[in-house]
Amino acid sequence: MSKPSDLVQGTLDLLILKILALEPLNGWSIGERLRQVSSDVLHVSDGSLYPALHKLEQGGWIASEWKPSENNRRAKFYSLTKLGRSQLEKETADWTRLSRAISHVVKLKEA
Amino acid sequence: MRLEHWSYILPLRLRSLFRHREVERELDEEIEYHLEKRIDAEKAKGLSAEDARYAALRAMDGMTQRKEECRQARGISAVESTMQDIRYGLRVLGKSPGFTAVAALSLALGIGANTAIFSLINAVMLRTLPVQNPEQLRVLGVTRGPDLEYGFTYNHYRQFREHNQSFQDLAASSPVRLSVSVDGQVEPAVAGQMVSGGYFSVLGVNAEVGRTIGAQDDRVPKGHPVAMISDGFWKRRFARDPGAIGRRILLDGAPFTVIGVTPPGFFGIDVGTAPDVWVSIMMQPVVMPDAEDWLGKPIKTDYWLRIVGRLKPGLSPAMALAEMEVLYRRYAVPDDDVQPKDKIGLAPASRGLSALRREFSEPLLILMTVVGLVLLIACANVASLLLARATARQSELAVRLAIGAGRGRLVRQLLVESLMLAALGGICGILLAYWGSEALLSFISRGRAAIALSLRPDPQVLGFTAAVSAITGILFGIAPALRATRLDLGPSLKSRFQAGGATRGPRLGNVLVIGQVALSLVLLIVAGLFVRSLAKLNGQDAGFPRESVLVMRVEPRGSDQRNLPGVSARLDGIYRGLLERVRAIPGVRAASMAGVNPTTLVTLHLAMKKPSTGELLRVNDIAVYPGYFSTLGIPFLAGRDFTADDFAVSARPAAVINESAARKLFPGENAAGKELRSEKPSRLFQVIGVVRDSHYSNLRGETQALAYLPFLLTPTGRGQMTLHVRIAGNPGAVAPLVQKAVQEIDKDAPLLEVRTLAAEVDAALMQERVIATLSSFFGAVALALAVVGLYGLMAFAVVRRSGEIGIRMAIGAQRRDVLWMVLRDTLALVGVGIAIGVPVALVAMRLASSRISGLLFGLSSGDPVAIGVAVVVMAMAAAVAGYLPARRAARVDPMVVLRNE
Repeated sequence: MSKPSDLVQGTLDLLILKILALEPLNGWSIGERLRQVSSDVLHVSDGSLYPALHKLEQGGWIASEWKPSENNRRAKFYSLTKLGRSQLEKETADWTRLSRAISHVVKLKEA
Repeated sequence: MRLEHWSYILPLRLRSLFRHREVERELDEEIEYHLEKRIDAEKAKGLSAEDARYAALRAMDGMTQRKEECRQARGISAVESTMQDIRYGLRVLGKSPGFTAVAALSLALGIGANTAIFSLINAVMLRTLPVQNPEQLRVLGVTRGPDLEYGFTYNHYRQFREHNQSFQDLAASSPVRLSVSVDGQVEPAVAGQMVSGGYFSVLGVNAEVGRTIGAQDDRVPKGHPVAMISDGFWKRRFARDPGAIGRRILLDGAPFTVIGVTPPGFFGIDVGTAPDVWVSIMMQPVVMPDAEDWLGKPIKTDYWLRIVGRLKPGLSPAMALAEMEVLYRRYAVPDDDVQPKDKIGLAPASRGLSALRREFSEPLLILMTVVGLVLLIACANVASLLLARATARQSELAVRLAIGAGRGRLVRQLLVESLMLAALGGICGILLAYWGSEALLSFISRGRAAIALSLRPDPQVLGFTAAVSAITGILFGIAPALRATRLDLGPSLKSRFQAGGATRGPRLGNVLVIGQVALSLVLLIVAGLFVRSLAKLNGQDAGFPRESVLVMRVEPRGSDQRNLPGVSARLDGIYRGLLERVRAIPGVRAASMAGVNPTTLVTLHLAMKKPSTGELLRVNDIAVYPGYFSTLGIPFLAGRDFTADDFAVSARPAAVINESAARKLFPGENAAGKELRSEKPSRLFQVIGVVRDSHYSNLRGETQALAYLPFLLTPTGRGQMTLHVRIAGNPGAVAPLVQKAVQEIDKDAPLLEVRTLAAEVDAALMQERVIATLSSFFGAVALALAVVGLYGLMAFAVVRRSGEIGIRMAIGAQRRDVLWMVLRDTLALVGVGIAIGVPVALVAMRLASSRISGLLFGLSSGDPVAIGVAVVVMAMAAAVAGYLPARRAARVDPMVVLRNE
């Protein structure tokens, strides 16, 4: 199980927002989906997932709703709000800029 | 964007605050769902059910902390945890009701005393008038003597109003006492105000019912017999009957029509008065038949009108002042008695005018300081209680620290407890204060016209109390809280079941007790100084007990209209007869009469010509009958007293002057036998005697130049006199006979009280008495608090040291040794407290008396008697506080203690 520090600082929010942009999910499925789409590279720890979700919800970027999941168990589903979508765009742009800069630096030829 | 943001999160926040349980349940359910999923996943990997659950919990990495993080994300965890703290605090305080009661009582005394004094300060000095935009109001004054006075002649008022460009309008008013009769039934005399036509419009006050006195009521002298009544009078006398409007009432015998009722709480601009009747200033000669006609051409200048106004918008007070200064001189008539050195002043009137403010602002500020110190002592007291308790709670706190509570969180918890104690103290304090300030007000009101102040706690007072309580709570709570949470966990947990436990803490306790001793000693010394000063003021004696002089006002019918033809002569006859009668009463040694009570400042004055320069000087004149000086024990410096011959109509006008007047009028000469001329009316007097300045009319050592004149020679409308009777024996036996003699001269005259000179002086020394009494009271409270603190500390120390004491006794210490050991500790603390307190008191009093003149009379701020008595009282009280625990220590049974060890 990877520790939260294994994820680049601050990217967890971005990842959650992106996953939820695809479709509303509950907490468990978010972690699973993230693992799947990253081909098992990105693991979010169970411990850090929920505080992050609650923080995003209180920030107004995601909204929650209790809905039946499989075998009629009730689960809390999160979805992206309008506010969240613009936040996602902003964070995505930031991330792209940052990762491009980092890869540029690490690819510098050594003398 | 921001708004949209809040529209998302506000409902969430509110929900987590008010649907707390539901939100918590949802959190549990959400996490539980996740755990089940994880367990299933682990099981699928082949783990047993139990191992899978462990793995799932491990993956959560600290379930409780994670949940707490989710709660924190909700952003209201501070509110939530404070509510938790409060619930917990309630339980803790409820568990030790004795401690809670003692602490709350200490605080209630401190906070209550502060609230009581503050509510008086608020009522007298801070509260704004209940009128429209009071901050725009300005009151005109003039500096004729040392102070700004607020009185003007009618001429000046009229000229100012007509010619000024600075004010939107000016209004005038003057207080008056009125006898009211409704339906032929005479009411007790009420306070009234004579007001100009613009008065109510300038103040922006409308009638509650009917109409206000307006411009149409301010045209012709004696021509507007209309009156407004106060809401209180309307309720009291007419049961709020709207039919009261239009009713006829008699004011001083003259018919008036009620035209309106003033709104509740309105009292004009004089704070501390409660006028019941308002009439037009045009009616002054009608409602004041005893005085001169101040609207016309009075013989004597009388500055009877207060002038208030609102400045025109955008005009600076300095410009208005400059204009009024010019008008004051340009339109003056000789009767206005304008002097070259007079200076016009303009004062904000938002808080009204008050004689009380001048009289009581210094005493109130002194008392505020005193009660501030009492509160500080109460704080130290409660702090040491909390400290002792924190030691007892050490194991509880250690456990909480050990299982992961942050120190900050614990400090907060303890502070919440202190704040709750402070709040409890504050609530009790408000109740105490309400009762206390009413008692204080009636104490101040004794022996004078009632002071009407609303002491109902208003937002200012409540805010003050809340702030004081909060500051108090933090003040006494912070040190014990910090101390209690600074723990070595190991020893604390280990000694959990041992008596005593850690020995840390007494240092701070010592400091707190020393502080209490020092502060209460300061208060005791200050109280002692005030008491001694009052005693000195009281002690300037005339060689006979003051209880043996009776004083009584005599007001036969018509005595207030002395200027009417024939009245003076008739009154003179009545008074001579009365004196004869009184002198014949058994037990009466001497009797005489004078125009004022012995302790009242004489306010009537005559212009007297200084013979050497011809300069006109103001000399206060007072009407007397023969025997006045011997009755009051005022000694003659030269010349002789009046005789009956001096009172004959044909006699040459004679005067007795006091030494101040002699110094002023005849500097360096022997005044007796000299001639003296008065102006307005012009009359030549012969000075037949010079007397020492009276002890009573200048109790605080101020001097007043006085001329004592035979009754018939004083030019005034006031013919009421005060009877002075010196008696032998018990006043209770003679007073009724004197009262009866007075009644016999006029059956219809109001029955007035006979008082002793001692009571008169008491009333005159009210300020000093209030300060001395209250500072003694608060000194006693402070002493009691300090003694309780000392006792608590020593008792606690004895319990803590019982093991040591047991061992000492086991190896041969005598009970006496143990007793002395504990007592010595107590006295050492008190000694340090005294060593700090005395210099602090000295410096404080020296500072205070350099700021406030006349603070102490006849003694220095380092008065050894006051300091000595205070130190002895403190030491004795401390010895008692230390003796009880010491005795308990001496009774320790070594066997019992050693077995416990």
